[in-house]
Amino acid sequence: MAEAFLTAQELHKSFNEHKAVDGVSFTIYKGEIFGLLGPNGAGKTTTIRMLSTVLEPDSGDVTIGGYSVRRDANAVRSLIGVCPQELALYEELSAFDNLVFFGRMVGLDGKEARAQAAARLELLGLAQRAKGRVDKFSGGMKRRVNLAVSLMGHPELLFMDEPTVGIDPQSRNNIYDTIEGLRDKGMTILYTTHYMEEADRLCDRVAIMDGGRIIAMDTPRELRSQIGPPDQVTLEDVFLRLTGRSLRD
Amino acid sequence: MIRPLLVALLQVRIYIQDKGDLAFSLLLPIAIFALMYGAFGEMQFHGTAHVVNEDQGGAYSALFIEWLEEVDNLDVELLSTSKADARLDRADLLMVLYIPQGFSDRLASGEQAQLIFKQRGNGGDEGQIVASIVGGVADQMAQEFQVRGQVSEYLAGSDISQERIDITVQRLLEDERESPAVVVKEETVGDSPDPVNEFLPGIITMFVLFAITLTARALVEERKKGTLERLLTTRLSVGQLFAGKFLVNFSRGFLQTLILLLLSYAVFQMFTPLSFVESLVVAIVFIAAVSALGLIIGSVARTEDQATWIAVFFTMAMVILGGTFFEVPESGVLNVISKVSINTYANDAFRTIIADGGSLTDVGLQMGVMAGVAVVGLVLGRVIFKVMSGGR
Repeated sequence: MAEAFLTAQELHKSFNEHKAVDGVSFTIYKGEIFGLLGPNGAGKTTTIRMLSTVLEPDSGDVTIGGYSVRRDANAVRSLIGVCPQELALYEELSAFDNLVFFGRMVGLDGKEARAQAAARLELLGLAQRAKGRVDKFSGGMKRRVNLAVSLMGHPELLFMDEPTVGIDPQSRNNIYDTIEGLRDKGMTILYTTHYMEEADRLCDRVAIMDGGRIIAMDTPRELRSQIGPPDQVTLEDVFLRLTGRSLRD
Repeated sequence: MIRPLLVALLQVRIYIQDKGDLAFSLLLPIAIFALMYGAFGEMQFHGTAHVVNEDQGGAYSALFIEWLEEVDNLDVELLSTSKADARLDRADLLMVLYIPQGFSDRLASGEQAQLIFKQRGNGGDEGQIVASIVGGVADQMAQEFQVRGQVSEYLAGSDISQERIDITVQRLLEDERESPAVVVKEETVGDSPDPVNEFLPGIITMFVLFAITLTARALVEERKKGTLERLLTTRLSVGQLFAGKFLVNFSRGFLQTLILLLLSYAVFQMFTPLSFVESLVVAIVFIAAVSALGLIIGSVARTEDQATWIAVFFTMAMVILGGTFFEVPESGVLNVISKVSINTYANDAFRTIIADGGSLTDVGLQMGVMAGVAVVGLVLGRVIFKVMSGGR
C-alpha cells in the first residue's frame, strides 16, 4: 500500500454565506499525480489555497508529510511548491532573477538558489533566455517560468493550478514532459485543469468537485468505466455526466 | 532576518528598472525645493490695489490714482463696477476701493469726499496692507486740500491773485513731499523672520506623507501580480514580508527627505550641523510612522485604486488637521481634533528644531507619539492583513 502524503479531512470554507468548500476529504499518496477537476466555482482553487497554507480552513484539517497545516504551517511550507493559476512573477525582472529570489524565499542560500535556478531553466527549455526580462516572454515561456519557480527548493509536493492555460501545444507538451519526469523522480503532484484529456493523460487518480464537494474520485479509467466501455468514453463524458451541461459563472 | 532585506532589495531592483519612476522620485524633492525657493527666496510685499473709479473725468480721482501708482510695490488695477462686484461675490477679490461719482466735485467745492472700501471678511492680509497704503495716500491728499483751503481763506481779500496763490501752495507742497519735515528712519536690528523656517516643516511632513500612497500600493500590487500569494506559500512569514515592505518604503522616503533637507541646508543656510542631524532624526521617526500607516492601508485595500484613494484621503486629512496650510489655534475644538493627526506631532517637532532653535530633548512627546504610531501601525497592519485575507 502506497504511503499517504497528503490527507484532507472534512475541509470547510465559506465566504460570507457562500460555502466554497463543503466537507472535502481525500488522500494523495506519495509519488502520485492527483487531479482535482471541476467546473468554474467548484471550489478547486479554494481547496488548493487551504492545502498550501494561504487560507485557513473554517473547520477540518490537512496533514502534509505528517504536519498539520493548522499547527505546523511552517513545516508544511518547507515541503510544498505552488504553481498558481495566475502568472505570479515579477515581470520586470529576468527569469533567472525570479527563480533566485523565490529560491531564497524557500530557504536556499544564494549559491544553491543560483545553481537550482540554472538547472530548472534548463529543464524547462529556458536556459537561453535566462537573463531575459519576463515581460518580454511569450505566454508559453511565462507559464514555464511560473512552473520553474514552483520547483525551487525541491518540494516534495507540488500544487499545480491549471498550469497549461492559454499556451501553445509545444509549451504544453514541454510542461507535460516535465511533470511526468517529476513523477518519475518521486514527486507528489496535485493537478487541476479544465482540459480532461490532460487529466486523463497525466493523473493517476482524479477527484471531481462541484458545489464545494467531491462528487467522484477514482482512477480516470475506473471513472470512464462507470458510464461505458472505458476505451470508448472520455473523461470529459464522465465530467459532463456528473456536473451537468448548464453554464457556470 | 535576511528575508526582509531580500524583499526590500527586490523592490529596489524593480524600482530602478523603471528609469522614469526613479528619476521622478529623485527629482521630486528637487522640484519642491525649487518651488520653495521661488516662493520664499526673495520674499517681500507686493500688492495690487483694485480700484473702481466711478468719478469718470474727475481731476482729483485721476490724481489720486496717479499717486497710488507711484507707491513702490503696489500695482493698481482699474475695474468696472459690475466686474468688481462680481469678483467680490465669488471671493476672487477680497477688497476693492471705490471712488464714488462726484468725488472730485466735492473736493473742489470744499466738501468732505469719501472713498469706499468693499471687502469680504477682513479683506485678507494683502487687502489690509493695501488699505493701509491707500489710507496714507488719502490722508496726504486731504492734508493738501486742507492747506490750500486755509491759505486761500487767510489771503482772501488780499491783492494776490488766486492763481498765484495756487501755484505757490502747489510748489510748497511739492517741496514738502520731497523733503518732509518729519521722516521715519528704519533701523535694522536683526534678520527678518524667515518664512522658509516657518513653512519648511509643513512642506517636509506633507511630502513624506504623500509617500504613504506608494507604501499602500506596494502590498496591493504584490497581491494583484499574484506574487503575494506565492510568497505566502514560502517560508517568508507575513512579519518578514511587512518588514521588507516597510524597509524599502522607509528607505525611499528617507532618501527623498534627505535631498530636500540637504538642499534647504545648502541654499537657505537654515540649519546648524546639530539642528540638521536632529531634523534628520525627526524625519526618520516620522517616515517610519508613515510607512507603517501605509502598510495598514495596503492591508485594507483590495485594489490599487482603493489604496490610492484611501491614502489620498488620509493624507489630505492629516495635512489639513496637522496645521500645514494654516495655523491650528492653541485651544478649541480644532486643536483637540488636530491631535489625531500624525502631522501635528511632526510639524511641532520640526518647528521646534528648525524655527525655534530647540533640540531633540524638547520634542520627546512628539517623537514618542510618532514612534508609537510606527510600532502600533506595523502590528495593526499585520493583524488587519490576517483578518482581511482570511489566512496567514
